[in-house]
Amino acid sequence: MPETPATANTTTPPAGAAAASPASGWAGQLRLTVAARGGRSYAARQFHEGALRVLRPHYLDRSGQVTYTVVNPGGAYFGADSYLLDVAVERDASLALTTQSATKVYRTPQGPASQEMIVRLGPGAVLEYVPDQLIVYRGGSYIQRTRVDMDPTASLLLAEVVTPGWSPSGESFAYDELRMRTEVRVLPPGAPASSAAPEGAPPSPGAQVAQGVDPAGPAAGARPRRLVVDQLRIQPDAHGDITGTGFMEGHSHTGQLLIADARLTDEVYELLTAAVDASETRSGITRAGVGEPYGVRCVCVRSLAHSTPAIAALHRAVVDLLREHWRGQPPLNLRKY
Amino acid sequence: MVEPSLSGVLGLMQLTDSALPTGAFSHSLGFETYMAAEQLEDEASFSAWLEMFVDQQLTFTDALAIRLVYAAQDFERIEDLDDLVTAQALPRQIREGGMTMGRRLLSIGARSYPGDWVRRYQQGVAEERMHGHQATVWGVLARGLDVPEDTAVASHVYATVISLTQNAVRGIPLGQNTGQAVIRAAQDWVGRAVVTSRELVVAGIAEEVLGAVAPGLEIAQMNHERQRARLFMS
Repeated sequence: MPETPATANTTTPPAGAAAASPASGWAGQLRLTVAARGGRSYAARQFHEGALRVLRPHYLDRSGQVTYTVVNPGGAYFGADSYLLDVAVERDASLALTTQSATKVYRTPQGPASQEMIVRLGPGAVLEYVPDQLIVYRGGSYIQRTRVDMDPTASLLLAEVVTPGWSPSGESFAYDELRMRTEVRVLPPGAPASSAAPEGAPPSPGAQVAQGVDPAGPAAGARPRRLVVDQLRIQPDAHGDITGTGFMEGHSHTGQLLIADARLTDEVYELLTAAVDASETRSGITRAGVGEPYGVRCVCVRSLAHSTPAIAALHRAVVDLLREHWRGQPPLNLRKY
Repeated sequence: MVEPSLSGVLGLMQLTDSALPTGAFSHSLGFETYMAAEQLEDEASFSAWLEMFVDQQLTFTDALAIRLVYAAQDFERIEDLDDLVTAQALPRQIREGGMTMGRRLLSIGARSYPGDWVRRYQQGVAEERMHGHQATVWGVLARGLDVPEDTAVASHVYATVISLTQNAVRGIPLGQNTGQAVIRAAQDWVGRAVVTSRELVVAGIAEEVLGAVAPGLEIAQMNHERQRARLFMS
């Protein structure tokens, strides 16, 4: 199955996507730029097309943080289709981004369904990305690529849960392949908060990803520096098994949590470790990332469990702990509308 | 099939010898976590673990990194690969172990087999611009020795298999003959790592999938940090 590498400079839209959205090549795309004014965050720019849109924003507490809920009216991601989430959070703005329901991937005989997510965080910006679980069903393949460029003073949290879909034979793990790659880069201090593409002229899938980082930084010699690459891949092993040692270790659900923030001190790390220990999941926590590019640190938590709520509870505990510790913000209370 | 030169073979044998003082004897790369959980107690269970490790980490990280070094056009690309392969190692002990062993290998290799890229690599590490990951260091040294690409991949994966098995013989413990039987059986898995990594390069996704592994192994590698009694550094 031929596929498009993230870095390829192709302009050919994926085959299955053409019918849904001939203009852009994306089966669904959502572009959202959140800015802050008077301590209150709001969507300064917003564009959607095809099978992705957002519900009207909510303010869940008095912090000024805006919460957006992504909706997929099609109810699932389809084979060979590509979906784009392009999110910018500008200076001192705060965004909680979630979904209305689980992302589902059914059989994908046409080729993997894929999601590209591009995130830019300006100085002092906050992003909490807490989607519902991803469910990959029997015969489904899914590839997700996420690229984050953040200012050294921004705060990033990505929390995802992956669950197996139902299979008629009763096997939990009948999906063909699942790959999720997240790369976080730190921009030099003082880089522009948003280098968003011009509106109304959305580029094609391949081209959009290729331009993720603008090499023309503000100061000569100061380049975006790679913080971490978080990779998850689940595919049956040489013996056709996916449940055993090293893989799912007898569990059905997996979770990944990535935090990037300059304030990830030893004290905060101890708090996070305690949250992991208190969880019902089988989890690991570690200080990830190389160096501390422009002072930014990274912590990753990886989990296995038998249910979505077990992992979601750990993720929520971490989210709430950091909200309280760093921002004096009340717990994230995502009511689903 | 391209044959390595005799000098290439001898250089390769020196640098992939399990007695090379890189500190490989002190890394379990995750298996000690399974040992502590009493999941690795005999030949069958260690073999299954090692096969998984070859299929996962050694194929998707080390083998791909070496192939990407061979495909590199200039040293800037080596700098980026060194950074990428280090950044994808989430568990701290795995990341630091890869750098510790890589820096030792670089230091030994540079003395015996100096070359322009080896020198620039050393300079990059000395200036803290580069990390010195073991797989990219080996790729650069093997390229300098004119070792064919498949041989460079196979010899590194095999050397890691031998080190880990020797560590398991001491740690679990397993009998010496059992260890040799595991190493013999692992030759098939090494061959698979060569083929699979080559296919990923041909498919054009080598860089995208570099470091892509299943969650269980990474969790075990992370949890080793907080294990109480430890024989190994990772």
